[in-house]
Amino acid sequence: MTTQTDNGQAVTEKPAISVKSLDFYYGEHKALRNISMDFARRKVTGMIGPSGCGKSTLLRVLNRMYDLYPGQRATGEVVFDGRNIIGQGIDLNRLRARVGMVFQKPTPFPMSIYDNIAFGVKLHEKLSRSEMDGRVEDVLRRVALWAEVKDRLKASATALSGGQQQRLCIARTIATRPEVVLLDEPTSALDPVSTARIEELLDELKKEFTIAIVTHNMQQAARCADQVAFFYLGELVEMDSTDRMFTAPRETRTQDYITGRFG
Amino acid sequence: MTESTHTVKSYEQELEHLGSLMARMGGLVERQTAQAVKAVVEGDEEAALEAPELDPEVDELEREAEALAIRILALRSPMAVDLRTIVAALKITGDLERIGDYASSIARRAMKLETEGNISLVGLRNMGHLVQNNLRRAIDALTTKDRDGAVAVWQSDTAVDELYTAMFRELMTYMMEDPRNIGTCIHLLFVAKNLERIGDHTTNIAERVYYAVTGEMLPAVRPRGGRSYPAS
Repeated sequence: MTTQTDNGQAVTEKPAISVKSLDFYYGEHKALRNISMDFARRKVTGMIGPSGCGKSTLLRVLNRMYDLYPGQRATGEVVFDGRNIIGQGIDLNRLRARVGMVFQKPTPFPMSIYDNIAFGVKLHEKLSRSEMDGRVEDVLRRVALWAEVKDRLKASATALSGGQQQRLCIARTIATRPEVVLLDEPTSALDPVSTARIEELLDELKKEFTIAIVTHNMQQAARCADQVAFFYLGELVEMDSTDRMFTAPRETRTQDYITGRFG
Repeated sequence: MTESTHTVKSYEQELEHLGSLMARMGGLVERQTAQAVKAVVEGDEEAALEAPELDPEVDELEREAEALAIRILALRSPMAVDLRTIVAALKITGDLERIGDYASSIARRAMKLETEGNISLVGLRNMGHLVQNNLRRAIDALTTKDRDGAVAVWQSDTAVDELYTAMFRELMTYMMEDPRNIGTCIHLLFVAKNLERIGDHTTNIAERVYYAVTGEMLPAVRPRGGRSYPAS
């Protein structure tokens, strides 16, 4: 297994999330095996691998989404802001506000565009009306949706197109001012133009947030990610800079997968 | 890194086809170079005529390989070893085409040569054989994806350069001895220079093969007689 090592040199920033010897179980089934990797701060980390390789599972560990399901458990360490977030005594609501998640299918709440964003913010912060208006406008601008929806903020979010809905979901996620944004196949249900908009958005968002994206689309990982991790059968096979991974990966299994040689 | 086959068979076939186009080009260019050397060293007129005749076929293969490489890049989005192979192929076919041109140029010049026997062709023959030998080994390394073979070729170009420098001095001497030698010697000097250029393009091919196979670039500066090169 190859991972990027950094020897704690002064120039390298501390990773936003550090995963150490993580195992994950769905009941008896071990879905992740001894994963150790860092999510570099304000970088995009792409996670690739065939279906069932554990990449989405890992994403769900990072904000403890798995806690919602019985029989799923993780062992090892996931260090975020100095704490092991898979340990005891973690405020899950707070964690999920700081480590936000965007899903494959756009999941707008059946309420207005404005309330889709305000809803999550209200759970964590007490803002005045004008502060909330400002927050809503700010995040909608950042996901490049403001111009399209500013005259119909009270309209239902479900009336938006798929691409707009997904950008709204990203706006909703960043509205709570998280440090990390997790994206699970965020564009697999979108057309190429909407996909390009989201990818462009990631470039902007990474200036402020640490981003982890799971994608089946190798080209997308190549376009968006700064570093890429390849998973296979619950193992982290190789992790390196995107450039290195797609031009000269070190591991045969990585090469076979990204060149389409898996039988 | 061992290679298994692609899940998509037509992709595999396209890459194989690209490889076979390069191998055919390599074969033709080897032939051109051999005939060119023979034309100069042995005064073989048939050989002198044959080398340039192969040019159009080499050019056609280069165009075909380029079109195929572009098509694969556009349609398959190649990654890793495939990407490297295709980028290398674009460069290698360019080098092969240039080698063919130099060989033709040598062969055409051979027809104008009037060697009266007072000028030794031994140095040129040695240089020609070394260049041919390197070219053959480079093309072998290309077709068998042989990393070590590529390194060996890359290193042995130093000998070609040394022979060229020696040839240059030798021909200068002939010209200073007797101005009537100047015409012939100028032709021979161009032949030597063209052989040296063939040697350089051969080295380029070896470098591209090394990159395609390993994913690493050989250092920009070749060792002068040394044996240090990137270890595995």
